[in-house]
Amino acid sequence: MEVEEDSKFDMEVISTSGVYKTPFSMIILLQLFIGGLVLFIVNLWFINSLYYLLTGTEFYSFGLKAEWYYWLLLPLNIYGNIFLFVFVIIFFSGGIFRILNKISPPREGIFKRGSKEWKYMHRRFWTAYFPIWLARALPLPWLDIIAYRSFGTKVGKSVVLYEGYVDPLFVEIGDFTMTSLNICMFSHLIYQDKLFIKKIKVGNACVVGPHTIISPGTVMEDFAVLGVNSYTSINQRLKGNLIHVGTPVNITLPIQSVEESQQKAVKVKGSKTPDKITQNKEDLHFQEE
Amino acid sequence: MFQPASLKGISPAPIDERIRNKFLVLYIVIIISSLIPTSLFEFWYITFFWSETYFWIFFIVLPFNIFLAIHLIQISAILISVLFLKIIILIHNPKEGNFKRSIEDRDYYFWTIRNIVKKWPLFVTASNPFPWLKNRFTLRFYGVKIGKKTICDNSWISSEFVSIGKNVIIGMNSTILSFAIEQDNFILKKIVVEDNVLIGAKCVLLPGTIIKRNAKLSAHSYTNHNHVLKEDSIYRGHPAKLKEKS
Repeated sequence: MEVEEDSKFDMEVISTSGVYKTPFSMIILLQLFIGGLVLFIVNLWFINSLYYLLTGTEFYSFGLKAEWYYWLLLPLNIYGNIFLFVFVIIFFSGGIFRILNKISPPREGIFKRGSKEWKYMHRRFWTAYFPIWLARALPLPWLDIIAYRSFGTKVGKSVVLYEGYVDPLFVEIGDFTMTSLNICMFSHLIYQDKLFIKKIKVGNACVVGPHTIISPGTVMEDFAVLGVNSYTSINQRLKGNLIHVGTPVNITLPIQSVEESQQKAVKVKGSKTPDKITQNKEDLHFQEE
Repeated sequence: MFQPASLKGISPAPIDERIRNKFLVLYIVIIISSLIPTSLFEFWYITFFWSETYFWIFFIVLPFNIFLAIHLIQISAILISVLFLKIIILIHNPKEGNFKRSIEDRDYYFWTIRNIVKKWPLFVTASNPFPWLKNRFTLRFYGVKIGKKTICDNSWISSEFVSIGKNVIIGMNSTILSFAIEQDNFILKKIVVEDNVLIGAKCVLLPGTIIKRNAKLSAHSYTNHNHVLKEDSIYRGHPAKLKEKS
């Protein structure tokens, strides 16, 4: 609708993710209410039986009489309730996310402030914010992948995701990919009064180093490695089986095994001082044995 | 958005190990006195709602009670720390400049006391489900000027000598430090970010930087001490250099 392809847009400057506060962000209250309501309904029987044990009367008779060992179940009940609360909120807000997707299907491109895409992008992100925040506060590290899958993000099997800022929309991650601490994967970008959305694709068995930024439109092919403290510029393509470093990425290095690099080091040292080669070789043999 | 649990973005307030133990009592007093309103509220709640016939109302309203109690702790912690801060500022007024990093230096000493007072409210408000309450709401109580419609939810902003204008976007994990420790020197200097500025992800602003209107700082770059970024221009690098004028 409001796509402006001719407008001036500085593709090299990477801004930031994040969205403005809107009245729709009060959906957190609704999510809290739904989670609390389900908890209350599920725990009604347990609370009733504990109340019976305490006072001798019950406020509703379910037919079963409480025993003394119900007290032993109390810690298990509390711990299970935390997980129940989080899962209810995740799947409830996943449903809202899909309804929003039905109302206005997500599209790629450049949009203006106040357009329909701008509004619905904010709404989607505010629905996804709280469940992901909750999933990451729990001790199980793979719970946030379930949360992302409930929002329709394609995440492969055995992926490490739990220490980064990852957008839930227009992100595709392959199997066995490993992301490190403090990474940013942005599929959207707010630039003054414009919004830019483009898909990110991360292949199979990629490694994303710590403190990196992946900007919208980048494609990482299979087995590619993004080095520490580097960022990709918009619409960049990282080839597979190579290490990519730079701000923005401009250097590529070959991946080599530890033995290969050690042999190269021996060769380089050999040209200068021949005495040290034997020492190095002995060390190598010693390590192998 | 979607920040990891280990990076809550608490505004930096380091405390000197040599002074910390002297003010342990003050720290505990702040914590306990900020919990008093919630305990009063809970007492009122239990006595009001718990009755023989209408006990089910108690359980229905319980989720709202927990939600309100968390916010009561956070807001009362902020207000009590502001009260203590005003008393400390009356004793010694904070000012900019270069100081010595030693306990004898009065400015450094009182800076750490201010950090001890702020530590608990900053820690508590960082774990709030509403992201704007963390920086925009709490830092305004400590005298940081933050304009309307700015995004600064996932960044570390120090709680003194910072002023941020309207419509500013500050990226993920970028830090704004109005203090610096260089060997034996301790520096406090004001940072000014004017309107419509765009700061990328993972930037670092050192004390004394001034960013003029409509300037843009690219991602992964940092500024020097007393660095001035001009209007309508793009900066990038380590440290930031002028890339082009738009």
